[in-house]
Amino acid sequence: MQTLDLVSNLHETQSRVLAPVATLIGVERTYARGRLAVPALRGVDIELVPGELVALTGPSGCGKSTLLNILAAVDRADGGSVLVSGQDLCTASESQLTLLRRRSIGVVFQDFQLMPNLTAYENVALPLALDGRTDSVRVLELLSRVGLAQRGSHYPSELSGGEQQRVAVARALVHRPELVVADEPTGNLDSASGRHVLDLLMDLRREEGAALVLATHDRMVAARADRELRLLDGRIASPEA
Amino acid sequence: MTVLGVAIGVAAVVSTLLASRAAVASMTGDVASIAGAARLEVTRPGGIAMADIELLRPVCDEALLVPIIEGTALVPEMGELVRILGVDLLVDSQARSIELSAPDLQAARDELLFGNGAAMASSLAGQLSLQPGDDLELVVRSRKTSLEVVATFEPERFGSAWERVLLVDVAVAQELLARTGRIDRIELVPRGAAATQDELQALAARTAAQLPEGYRVAPSSARRDEGTRMVRALEFNLTALAGVSVLVGIVLVATTLATSIVQRRAQIALLRSLGASRAQLTGAVLIEAATIGLVGGVVGVLLGWVGASAAVGSVSTTVSTIAEGVIPGRINMDLRWALLGIALGLLAAMLAAILPLREALRTPPLQGLRSEHAESVTRRSFRSRLFALALLLGAAIVFVNLPPLEDRPIWAMMAVLCLLGTLLVLSGPLIDLFSGIRPSFAQTGVGVPLRLAQAALEAGRTRAAWAAAAVGVAVALAVSMTTMVGSFRQSVVDWTNQAMPSDLFLRPLAADSGGLAGRIDPEVVKIAREQIGSENVDPFYQSKAYFRNSPILLAGAAFAVVAREGGVPFLDGRPSTVAFGAALESGEVVVNEPFAQRFDVERGDLLELETPGGSIHRRVGGIYRDYSGHTGRVVLDLADFFSFYPDEGPQSVSIFVDKDVASARSALAGALAGRFEVELLDNREVRAEVLTVFERTFGVTIALQLISSVVAAIAVVAVLTALIHERRRELAVVRVLGGSRRQLFGLVLGEALLLGLAGATGGLIIGLSAGYVLVAVVNLQSFGWTLQFLMPTSLWGTLLSVIPACLLAGIFPAFLALRATPRESLHASS
Ligand SMILES: Nc1ncnc2c1ncn2[C@@H]1O[C@H](COP(=O)(O)OP(=O)(O)OP(=O)(O)O)[C@@H](O)[C@H]1O
Ligand SMILES: [Mg+2]
Repeated sequence: MQTLDLVSNLHETQSRVLAPVATLIGVERTYARGRLAVPALRGVDIELVPGELVALTGPSGCGKSTLLNILAAVDRADGGSVLVSGQDLCTASESQLTLLRRRSIGVVFQDFQLMPNLTAYENVALPLALDGRTDSVRVLELLSRVGLAQRGSHYPSELSGGEQQRVAVARALVHRPELVVADEPTGNLDSASGRHVLDLLMDLRREEGAALVLATHDRMVAARADRELRLLDGRIASPEA
Repeated sequence: MTVLGVAIGVAAVVSTLLASRAAVASMTGDVASIAGAARLEVTRPGGIAMADIELLRPVCDEALLVPIIEGTALVPEMGELVRILGVDLLVDSQARSIELSAPDLQAARDELLFGNGAAMASSLAGQLSLQPGDDLELVVRSRKTSLEVVATFEPERFGSAWERVLLVDVAVAQELLARTGRIDRIELVPRGAAATQDELQALAARTAAQLPEGYRVAPSSARRDEGTRMVRALEFNLTALAGVSVLVGIVLVATTLATSIVQRRAQIALLRSLGASRAQLTGAVLIEAATIGLVGGVVGVLLGWVGASAAVGSVSTTVSTIAEGVIPGRINMDLRWALLGIALGLLAAMLAAILPLREALRTPPLQGLRSEHAESVTRRSFRSRLFALALLLGAAIVFVNLPPLEDRPIWAMMAVLCLLGTLLVLSGPLIDLFSGIRPSFAQTGVGVPLRLAQAALEAGRTRAAWAAAAVGVAVALAVSMTTMVGSFRQSVVDWTNQAMPSDLFLRPLAADSGGLAGRIDPEVVKIAREQIGSENVDPFYQSKAYFRNSPILLAGAAFAVVAREGGVPFLDGRPSTVAFGAALESGEVVVNEPFAQRFDVERGDLLELETPGGSIHRRVGGIYRDYSGHTGRVVLDLADFFSFYPDEGPQSVSIFVDKDVASARSALAGALAGRFEVELLDNREVRAEVLTVFERTFGVTIALQLISSVVAAIAVVAVLTALIHERRRELAVVRVLGGSRRQLFGLVLGEALLLGLAGATGGLIIGLSAGYVLVAVVNLQSFGWTLQFLMPTSLWGTLLSVIPACLLAGIFPAFLALRATPRESLHASS
């Protein structure tokens, strides 16, 4: 049994190295606003390899958040195909999407979105708990990695914005996702703490080996990415560099 | 839904009041309307000899003397009771304005005066499709008879007591009721201009001076007051119960209003930053509350009207166990009650607006909203809560020890209210308690949703506390009622088993509503004695007497039979064979517990009773338990009883059979058949019937209890919906983080469960205490009954049904939580 598990684990690791984390082909997403159809994405092709850091840039309204939602399995594309962790999101059932979000994807929001009545510790532990797991070693490790080892019992309202976002970073990585999605994670922070959060996010996901897609308006941030994808009117403007 | 909450509460109060008012109105027989112009009346326990009118000749110039004899009869065709009113038509036309109508009025009058004719309300005649000249079938004093309808009249208003009156001549009534030569009362109508109060008193004094001992002269209204007094306690209890559903309604409105405020937080914040003053916000909230209250009040009054019609039967049954001869009345909806109901709704809504108002005023201007997080976990100073709790409990203890106020257990009810009030204080800490037990995420599966549910409750703890309080009040109500009814039922069951040992039981026919049609013809007793042997027949007679100037029931029973057969449990635990034997030997009387309770009488006390035979003195030989009514009753041996009461027939007859009961029963039934209409029940049937009456009596109580449970469930739904609406965004985040739909569902149900648990825990404790107060204090004070206090066995049932009910209430909000996809909910609030 043990050996079998090991073998399958090995297999998984190998396939992870080989297979892309996410493959998007001709993805379209159109919002219905009353009778008006608003095309937010009009045929987006992307391939994400394990562990890479991709910056998603583009003017406001170009479809960044829409794209990230689809990547995070929170929203479904209307057209094209989306493969995340080998799962076809267009045909996946609701519970398959839930499992995918639970195990393979981490999310950092612009406005933190911590559960206000859970402690910092509990917030970080939440993704594990939702999966029926407990791993206090892992939770404490991440908390201390983001420099909040002493603040585990604090509620979000007792933390500064930067600290809250650091808790959110820990939460996004606690379950060892293959893909982390961050939509303007520094948008609500001043530049110093924003940089701090960003450093942590980038370092941590590198250590964990997770791919990170980061939507940002910040040229400096984009510069630190492995590559930059520029969205314009729902299409990739710059060819994949 | 808010409107519904108010409406249900108001409806409960209005229907209870209307129904009990209808019962009161019918029981006091619309005394006023029947009394007509009479201002004073002369009565005497056991009735007045017709010839005694002569005694009043000296006051003849001052007042018109109107003889009246009254009784009840059953109209088999309708299964309803009617009132037989025997009057002297010649003088009566001056006292009452009854316009007779008949094809030949003069002939009809003659027939009424000298023949066997009767007049009835045209509406009753219509209902029975009778024309003048037709015969009306009646059962009076267990005899079948008929009267010729010679005329009809129009009752002065719809629903008046006159609609159920058979007007006959005094002589006809005397014959029907077997009270030859006797009448019930003489009414005095002062001649000339309306007499002042002083003149009336002087007249009363002069009248009394003409009469020997045993007669009473009292204002006509006194009889009504007496009847009202008897029902007041009952009405008070019912109204208090209905009031509780208003209380629950207030909680409901408060929570829903607060909810709608929370849902519009952003709007309110915007308004505030645009410069809306606190006064303007207050105005807006109050107007909203007023609208809800108004609409709810109107709907509630309408619902209440419908509900009252449904409840009137049950209430009348209850009343008829208290006083005999009740003819169920009609529901009269007048403007006063409607306005009262609407005012109640308004008041409730206004009271309910306090909490939401706070919520609205606390909403910071827009600029503050962003940084502000959900209701922070501020724990109200523990000490002030403890103080409030101590205050309420202290008040409850003081109230429990206060004596009743005018026979109404007002203070005891206040004690119950105080106990319920503690729920409001307790529910907050209880919520904290239940959300304080941290199931760490370690417990997988259930753990996560439960922990998230706790967190959510903590976030909206004020409102959660209110909802828990609503659940608590409902549970407390259910538990206390179950306790009370359960204790009561057990006491009654034990009592019937003991007190009703007879093999056969004879009684007059009963109306559909449960009221008994008068008495049994003495002839029936004679036949039974011949058939079964007089040592086995125990007829029970009952009439009126006065003790310390209060009307009481004076009963006669065959002590010798009871002394041999037993039955009738005594308070001091003596077997009734011993107690009755001793009483028979020494010529003592026995009294029931309500009598002893009300007059504070003990065994061995000497009673002075006013009877038609003048004042008699009897010693109390024992106090027996009696759950058949709450009127004080003194029981004499039959021989003693007949020495001053004429034999008008017994109320019921208990028969003991040595041999085969069934054959004795059929033989007796055979002997009575054709001439008498009585019910002959065997022991099992009697006991079953006692319980049926019992259940019917408590029907209203149970209905009221159901109503507040429904209102509490609505409160839970409303609060959960609000909490979920507030937490939309958090729920979406949980979904994004990988929470499944099932976990989300579990989260909402977990909230419902915690609310239910918190409410149920508080409700259970408070309910048992309140139940104890109801059993030991309220019942004793209002009915004079000591009941054994029984922890209801169905307690767990009650509790276990609360949890599923709360879970059920959580289902709708849970689906609501699932409806929005994570993306939409994230977007909606960002
Ligand atoms: N729920 C929605 N309903 C209708 N239209 C929407 C909805 N969400 C987004 N849109 C539209 O889709 C387009 C893309 O929106 P999106 O939020 O993806 O832009 P963005 O690149 O994230 O912009 P920003 O940099 O300002 O965050 C916009 O034109 C927006 O108006
Ligand atoms: Mg965006």
